[in-house]
Amino acid sequence: MTTVYTTSEVAPSAELAVDLRDLYKTYAGEVHALRGVDLAVERGGVFGLLGPNGAGKSTLVKAMLTVIAPTRVAGSVLGAPVGDRATLKRIGYLPEHHRFPQYLSGRQVIEFFGALAGVPRRERKQRTDELLEVVGMSAWAGRKLGTYSKGMQQRVGLAAALVNDPDLVVLDEPTDGVDPVGRREIRDVLARLRAEGRTVLLNSHLLSEVEMVCTRVAIIVQGRVVRRGTVEELTRESARYEVLLRAPPPAWCFDGAENGGIVGARVEPGSGPMLNSVDPRGDLQRLILPQAGESVMQSIIDRLRREGMTVIAVTPVRESLEDLFIREVQDPTTGQAHKPGAGGVP
Amino acid sequence: MSNASSPARLSSRDRGIQTWALLVAAYRELNARKLFWLSIVLSGLVVLSIGALGLDEDGITIFAWTLESPFFNSTVVAPETFYKLLFSNLGVQFWLGLGATILALVSTAGIIPDLVTAGTIDMMVSKPLGRTRLFLTKYATGLLFTALQVTVFTVACFLVIGIRGGAWEFGLLIAIPLVVLFYSYLYCVCALVGLLTRSTVASLLLTMIFWFLVFGLQSAEQLVSVGRTASRLELDAISQDLEAERSHPDGADAPEVERLEEELAAQRSDDDTWQLVYAPISWLSAALPKTGETLSLLERSMDDVAAMPGQWEEQRAERRADRRSARGEDARPRPDDGAGPGGEIFGSSRVGGREIENKVAEERAARSKLYVIGTSLLFEAFILAIACWRFRRRDF
Repeated sequence: MTTVYTTSEVAPSAELAVDLRDLYKTYAGEVHALRGVDLAVERGGVFGLLGPNGAGKSTLVKAMLTVIAPTRVAGSVLGAPVGDRATLKRIGYLPEHHRFPQYLSGRQVIEFFGALAGVPRRERKQRTDELLEVVGMSAWAGRKLGTYSKGMQQRVGLAAALVNDPDLVVLDEPTDGVDPVGRREIRDVLARLRAEGRTVLLNSHLLSEVEMVCTRVAIIVQGRVVRRGTVEELTRESARYEVLLRAPPPAWCFDGAENGGIVGARVEPGSGPMLNSVDPRGDLQRLILPQAGESVMQSIIDRLRREGMTVIAVTPVRESLEDLFIREVQDPTTGQAHKPGAGGVP
Repeated sequence: MSNASSPARLSSRDRGIQTWALLVAAYRELNARKLFWLSIVLSGLVVLSIGALGLDEDGITIFAWTLESPFFNSTVVAPETFYKLLFSNLGVQFWLGLGATILALVSTAGIIPDLVTAGTIDMMVSKPLGRTRLFLTKYATGLLFTALQVTVFTVACFLVIGIRGGAWEFGLLIAIPLVVLFYSYLYCVCALVGLLTRSTVASLLLTMIFWFLVFGLQSAEQLVSVGRTASRLELDAISQDLEAERSHPDGADAPEVERLEEELAAQRSDDDTWQLVYAPISWLSAALPKTGETLSLLERSMDDVAAMPGQWEEQRAERRADRRSARGEDARPRPDDGAGPGGEIFGSSRVGGREIENKVAEERAARSKLYVIGTSLLFEAFILAIACWRFRRRDF
């Protein structure tokens, strides 16, 4: 397949580590894996790439790293056009389901990939020693990979991705198969990379981890970026107060002119397992006030109490990244998750 | 961390580091394969067998035993020639050209399929390493296997021939590039199939089938070549007989002339058929690698070994003449004397099998080394070009 590069239309950005525009990838059989992805990743920080299986995350990463040829792409990676081979020298990559030569030892694997990135021998050896220490594999460095557990291979893979001292590190499911202790260590490595000013692009299904380490995230669904921003930005619009009342709320609560400008206020039954102790009859009402500020809430509560309403609880609520993710990957018409892949009309 | 503003460039030093790393990894990969060491051990046994055999005035010796032979001893064949013959036939044609080649194919058939396995190839092609260079370096890895095997074997044989035969024949070392060349003709097919199918078994089987087909075609070409040559010689002989009959001092015998003309017409028709059959086979054969002929270049490069069949034939002819004289028969050579397989089939009362074989051998020898190796390398280059093109464009 011939790739159409349209880099001349886009000036490389000095602030962006990755600046992909109009990225398409169509496989044989008209499978549209990527359908016009625009993705900007600022230099420094950990960027999380989220999406359900088959959404196109790995395809996006592979297109960026020349593992596959995009059908069409514009933009730059580390200031160079996408597909520039020399730029790969400054990128570290750990693919999902990597398979290293089993006849090599952990040390040899790291040194081998360092050499393929053109790292001189002395520097390579020094970096390998340091990284073995960082990923906690020094004691096993001389053993053949065939004797390693999945988690140990993952640690060695992480070290191999870092051996060329990269500016951009691309990690596809780095904690896959790693035990909780190992996961924490990998998170520490990511934090260290972030502190060093490197850019990390992280593909992961583990949303809690992403939430912990990522400064920004993008959600890909069916070959398109549907949401992008910091976790705070993405969950801000779901921020709301929920007021638990003993009786239905008065009408003014739903009127923006009287409730302090809150739009979209609604009421839902207040029942739920957690409320059994305070709501044995099941008649509690939950007043939901989206995007309400603290001062507005104070006045609403004061007015409700003045009008004799019993306020059981007032709870500030914000959607978790997982809630947001689930909402984005669901088809609103069916309520089911979008089918993997992005077949059909681009 | 490198300076983000400095453009990354690949220097020749970088390329050197990458290539060296690939070669070191290749060595480690070979080292990890049990078949590599099994091949080395078997090569050692073949060298030991060659070294165990000897030649003295009484016959062939095996260690301390002697198999007496009045026809094959050091007075008939020089010991150094005997060893070179052993090396050329047993060592190169049989062991390196068959046994070790099968072992090498089994050992190296997985190199390209392993390379293009998901999880391995992603890491490799995401490095600043050209895909063509990566593929060709991995291809060279397979050849390295054979090169190491052949080098060990040939050097060991060189020492045996030097110590046991008393001849330090540096020309034997030409076997190293020749056998590697021979193997490369097959391995390029193996690499292409491995790349396309990602299957070690498929690449091994299809390469074996390809090898078998090439061998079959070469055998067919050789056989048809004998028939075609016999036909041509027969045609010439009939023409000469006819000319002789027509210009007979006592006048031409009309019925005989008529018979010869009919025979000539029939032979011309036969000859046309041979040409028709030979042409497509020779074209196809020209396009395919010359596996057998490449290995035979070793014999051609050793004058004394190449001359051996002729010398033996002369000796046999002398013995036949002696026996006929003893029986009181005409001692002159007959047309069917010394005919090989082809000669026996295609010889006639006019043209002897030996004459046909000589003519075929002459034509074969007229094929230059450049033709044999050049056309084979063209085939290899074509296959590798397809493989590189596919490897460069493939999504992994």
